[in-house]
Amino acid sequence: MHMSAITKVVSYIIIIFIILSLNFFLPRMMPAGPLSGLTSSDKPVLEQYTNYMTNLMHGDLGWSTSKNAPVWDVLMRSLKWTLLLVGTSTVIYVIVGILSGAVSAWKKGKKTDVGLLVLLISMASFPPFFLGMLFIIFLGWKLDLFPRFGAQTLFIDYSTPFGVVLDILHHLTLPAATLTLTSIGVIYLLTRNSMLNVLGEDYILTARAKGLSEWYIMRRHALKNAMLPIITLVALIVGLVITGTIFVETVFAYPGVGMLVSDAISAHDYPLLQGAFLFIALAILAVNFIADMIYVHLDPRVKQE
Amino acid sequence: MIEDIIVFLKKYKSNKLGLVGLGILIFFVIAAIFAPYIAPYDPGHRYKSTEHPNSAHLLGTNHVGQDIVSELIYGTRVSLFITLFASIAAAFIGTFIGLIAGYFKRLDFFLMRIVDLFLTIPRLPLIIIIAAFMRPSIWNLIFVFALFEWSITARIIRSEVLTFKNRPYVDATRMFGAGDFHILGRHILPNVVPLVVVQLVLVSRYIILAESGLSFIGLGDPTAKSWGMMLHDAFEYPTIFISDIWMWWMLPAGLCIVFTILSLTFIGYALEELVNPRLRRVTTL
Repeated sequence: MHMSAITKVVSYIIIIFIILSLNFFLPRMMPAGPLSGLTSSDKPVLEQYTNYMTNLMHGDLGWSTSKNAPVWDVLMRSLKWTLLLVGTSTVIYVIVGILSGAVSAWKKGKKTDVGLLVLLISMASFPPFFLGMLFIIFLGWKLDLFPRFGAQTLFIDYSTPFGVVLDILHHLTLPAATLTLTSIGVIYLLTRNSMLNVLGEDYILTARAKGLSEWYIMRRHALKNAMLPIITLVALIVGLVITGTIFVETVFAYPGVGMLVSDAISAHDYPLLQGAFLFIALAILAVNFIADMIYVHLDPRVKQE
Repeated sequence: MIEDIIVFLKKYKSNKLGLVGLGILIFFVIAAIFAPYIAPYDPGHRYKSTEHPNSAHLLGTNHVGQDIVSELIYGTRVSLFITLFASIAAAFIGTFIGLIAGYFKRLDFFLMRIVDLFLTIPRLPLIIIIAAFMRPSIWNLIFVFALFEWSITARIIRSEVLTFKNRPYVDATRMFGAGDFHILGRHILPNVVPLVVVQLVLVSRYIILAESGLSFIGLGDPTAKSWGMMLHDAFEYPTIFISDIWMWWMLPAGLCIVFTILSLTFIGYALEELVNPRLRRVTTL
């Protein structure tokens, strides 16, 4: 491993430690804390702390008062839906974001470019939950095209597994569209800028002079060189998307980890809130970590530092 | 200084999107400042609940009978107040840390590790959980946002300070016996102010978005309702989507947020172009 990779690993370990500790100390720092009845405050803090850490290692996150089940089990039940939602949204926004950014740069100043810019920048100004509410009203109720809540139709027997998949995808469309549309502006703008920079380079002119087709130049010469800054950004946006699920899942009553956050807040179910927070925070950190490692690998300049 | 501002304004005037953005923002700022004079009713007073728009209540009333127009106008106040104070506090901390880290080599490494930490930590989830453990109030929201949104500013200011601190004029000032803080305050700070302003706009854009989200999931101050809080109330109302109520309750509050964010985006782009001419080539909107 390279020096910078080791520094990264160490700093991530420190951050995870800080987050775990914050999760422990936060409820105890609050005056007349909401957990006063839940924490075993007769024991010394240090003992509580070591207990907390050992329990964490065993996957014991406490008892959810509102769901009346272990927090770990509640989270595990919700996890698949969030993974599905985040995964789908990420794939769509990476593909659509990079393509639209590249097209925009290629057609700079033309109608396509201006249209995309206006559309995607206005979309980025919508809070995800507000866009979600508009989708529910117009596409859910008025046009009746999509289900308005949940992740699948309950109490229906499908004759084929294909029907189940279709039903799940049908429910997934609006939440995924909301998440994608509200976060796509960032990657679109970066790709566009990055491409415009690259397109001004001499080797693009050379490629044109050689008589290569526009599509070939864009794919092999321009996009490839514009990718590096985009990769770090993808991690950043996966983080944004994961955070965004808190709001989007709430609006669509999509039964994932994000909805547990708002459920826990309104039910004052603090163990569940803390568990969901840990999941979300660690997921974002994991994504950032992977991106950092890829970046160290890809960019020779980082290695030498 | 005043001449600088005039020159700056003249340049800013040539940016159409920037002007549109500024216009929208000024509209909301006026609504916020003069809320008691503009609002037709006291936003806390209860009339008949869920009334449709009529001559007395232009946008009807909400679930507990509060006049929605007045709620919107006072909501502007709350939303902008939180955004303004939190982003100014964050800009202040960020600029201070950036100046110190960039100028004093010995503190640089230590401070930048802290900045890295704040940049890597998932900020919004952390803000949410801290806010959930505190009593919901405007000041607590301002506090958590200021606490977590200064790091990007610090990093940007630091790298800018690094380019200034070894310029000949700074060396000359040092030779004349000027102290470190004199140099920082009088000769370096004025040069980074434009960048601080750009950051201020970008951070406030983020904060108003995040604040509306926090209020929406129920972490807002119920005694001083922001736009996000109005959306929270509307969303909790059982028949919000099937009756027409959403049109005068949910839609105006949401659009206010959208337009504020849009205006800050426009202002941000206009300022960035002025401050950083290198960008002009690529980010022409």
